[in-house]
Amino acid sequence: MSKPRIVAIDDEPEFIDMLQNYFGLRGYEIDVAIRGARGIEIVKEKKPDVVLMDLKMPGIDGDEVLKLLKSMEPSPKIVFITAYDDGGKTKARLLKMGAYACLDKPISSLRDLEETVNKAMST
Amino acid sequence: MKYFNIYTFAAIVSIITCIVLGWFVYSRGKDKPLNRSFVYITIFVGFWCFFPLLTSIPESDQLALFLGRVAYLAGVYSPTLFLNFVIVFSGATGIRKMLPLGVAFGISTIFAFSVFSGYFMKGVIRNAPFFAVVPGVLYDMFVIFFLCVCCFAFYLTIKCYAVSDARKKLQLKYIILAFVIAVTSAMMHLLAPYSRKEFFPHDFLVIFYFSFMTYAIVRHQLMDIEVIIKKTLVFAGLLTSVFGMLILPTLIIQEYLFRGAGTGGRLAGLTISGIIIILTMRRIESFLIDITDKYLFQKKYDYKELLKTFTAEVLTVLELDKLVNLTINKLVDIVKLNSAAVLLFDHEKERFDVAASHNIKDQSVTLLRPDGIVTFMEETHGYILIKEMKEKNIVIPDSIQDIVNKLNAELIIPMVLHEEVIGVLSLGKKKSDEDYTQDDLDILLPLAKTLAIAISNAELFVELGRAQAEAAQREKMAVIGTLSAGINHEICNPLGIARGQCEAFLLNMKDGLYKTKTSQELINKAMDIMAKVIKETDRATAITKKLSGFAKPSKGEAEYINLEKEIDEVQGLVGYELKLEKIELEKLIQKDIASIFVDRKQFQEVLFNLIRNAGQAIGEKGKITVSAIEENDKVLIDVQDTGSGIPDDKIKQLFNPFFTTKDPGKGTGLGLFIVRQVVEKNGGRIYLKETKVGEGTIFRLEFPITVTERSSVKA
Repeated sequence: MSKPRIVAIDDEPEFIDMLQNYFGLRGYEIDVAIRGARGIEIVKEKKPDVVLMDLKMPGIDGDEVLKLLKSMEPSPKIVFITAYDDGGKTKARLLKMGAYACLDKPISSLRDLEETVNKAMST
Repeated sequence: MKYFNIYTFAAIVSIITCIVLGWFVYSRGKDKPLNRSFVYITIFVGFWCFFPLLTSIPESDQLALFLGRVAYLAGVYSPTLFLNFVIVFSGATGIRKMLPLGVAFGISTIFAFSVFSGYFMKGVIRNAPFFAVVPGVLYDMFVIFFLCVCCFAFYLTIKCYAVSDARKKLQLKYIILAFVIAVTSAMMHLLAPYSRKEFFPHDFLVIFYFSFMTYAIVRHQLMDIEVIIKKTLVFAGLLTSVFGMLILPTLIIQEYLFRGAGTGGRLAGLTISGIIIILTMRRIESFLIDITDKYLFQKKYDYKELLKTFTAEVLTVLELDKLVNLTINKLVDIVKLNSAAVLLFDHEKERFDVAASHNIKDQSVTLLRPDGIVTFMEETHGYILIKEMKEKNIVIPDSIQDIVNKLNAELIIPMVLHEEVIGVLSLGKKKSDEDYTQDDLDILLPLAKTLAIAISNAELFVELGRAQAEAAQREKMAVIGTLSAGINHEICNPLGIARGQCEAFLLNMKDGLYKTKTSQELINKAMDIMAKVIKETDRATAITKKLSGFAKPSKGEAEYINLEKEIDEVQGLVGYELKLEKIELEKLIQKDIASIFVDRKQFQEVLFNLIRNAGQAIGEKGKITVSAIEENDKVLIDVQDTGSGIPDDKIKQLFNPFFTTKDPGKGTGLGLFIVRQVVEKNGGRIYLKETKVGEGTIFRLEFPITVTERSSVKA
């Protein structure tokens, strides 16, 4: 089974750099964007299996992007990775709206993330 | 003009003085022997003073002589009555009182019988303006008798002075002074027949004589006597000057300029006099009042100043330290004290400590509740006057004497508020060495009471300030709690990077993914990651530093602050929150705007609250504009939002404590209430400038630009 194709969107370049480094070396096909709008274009173009994205980014709204990606065919699995914490309210809403997972920054372990990505692919 | 001259005028003035002062002293103590003995003198001497009038008015020499003799009926008793006064004052009784008085009365009575004979008074000299007796043999003897009685009275006075306490000594000083004046005055009159000349209208001296006597009698008993004496002196002075001005121009015109000018000349003189009197009267009056105030009644003058100073400058001070120090300084200055101290009760230490002092021996002196002094004052609310205690032979215990010595105290007054002694006012001796009088106490006791209120106010103010500061701090911490989402985001992002970079490297090593790399390449990679980790931890640290800096309570010191810089600081804190909610924050600061003089941290808190409130009013997506301009020596700062606006019915409650429109947990409601307190404490003003439901709100801050600030900024 081929490894999932990933698109990562985050306004923190060093975070993106780290994800690219980790997944790239492990043979994943990963594309990155540090701007929300550019990220959506890449998703449309590459049609990845999994999208890793930050929730709070300038000029982009988590809810709307989620709706947009959900409406795509085939729709990628979406994993939010965010430092935003409002007591779990937003997280619950996003999961209800169809997000695959919501992870907190800092990620407790890259292995867990990798596992989540792989699980997302297989479901 | 025959009987209207300076001598008769002096007589009239002294008669009036006698009547006024005699009546006054009598009315103040009808039953007191001293007062009565004084009244006798005023009656008899006053009557004696009629002599120049009685001898000058009648056309016939016979009548003049008869009336002159009548005046001397009173005159012969005058020395005896003066002796009576001195004996009463000295407190002598029994034989020591009766013998000399009996003898003097006897001799006076003999003279009284002889007055109507030629042996005493052969005639009267009526050489206007001079009027005197043509002395007989008995007149010569009367003069000798007069001198003897005076010498004896003087001897008694001196003897009495030696054994008197300080207060009586002071009275005696006045009596001796009066005595000297009296003898001089009487001698001028009595000896005038021999020289057939009188250089100065001696009756004027009588005025001073009686004034001093009255003053001596009532000085330590009544305050308003000073007013009466003052008025008498001013009245006498005014009368003298009016008379002088009436007479002089007329006299000069008639005698020197237009000799024999007749009625016309006199009228011209009177007209000139009238004009001069009208022009100068007011000034002379205030001059006389000033003089008497300044020299004769200085004590009273000081009291006025004391009251004025305290009500205007001291009692309104709300800073405790300043209040007590000012109290001491002003008391020492105005009452002219050697030393003074204010002791305040310390509730924690349960004792009175020195809060401010001047020239006391031991600064560290404390009064404990069970101490004699405190117990006494708590039970009686009364003062302790050392001199008085000694006079009454009250034994002062060593422990109290010790405290009194350390405080250098002469008068100790409790400061009582609501039945509780909150402090002690300790006053040392006066520099003049004069004793504290009832007059002093009458003003110092109420002053201590008022001081107690002022001190309690100042204490409450300090307490209020502390409570306000605490409330503001609690509110700040609560507010910081609401920032947690933004702060968390801002800290966790760098942490996520640092952790991820390190973990990725470690896992890559572990999984053998770096096998192809040389060790140098690996070291470079590791170094690269470490540099990133340092950068990201710095980022996280910066925000925690900002946060903890903001959370610290302010020092409460004002300084000149740069508006733009402070707004930036606050933006650094609320910025993340706003960014998360997609709220834009715009600054529009006038170029080179003046600095304002405020507590920096408190100003930040105010701005922080306003911006955060604005953000919450917007919710998500919107714009906050912070603008600042200078206008009419004020800096105007507007915080404008594009939020929901404030409904009419809520506007009135905006600044009330506990008013909030926010969801439970999002605000305590103390925000604007405390913001206003803080703004006002910093000399500013805050108000709702504009609000429209659905469009937004503008809050305005106003701070004054001080002149010193201008120069310091330009400098």
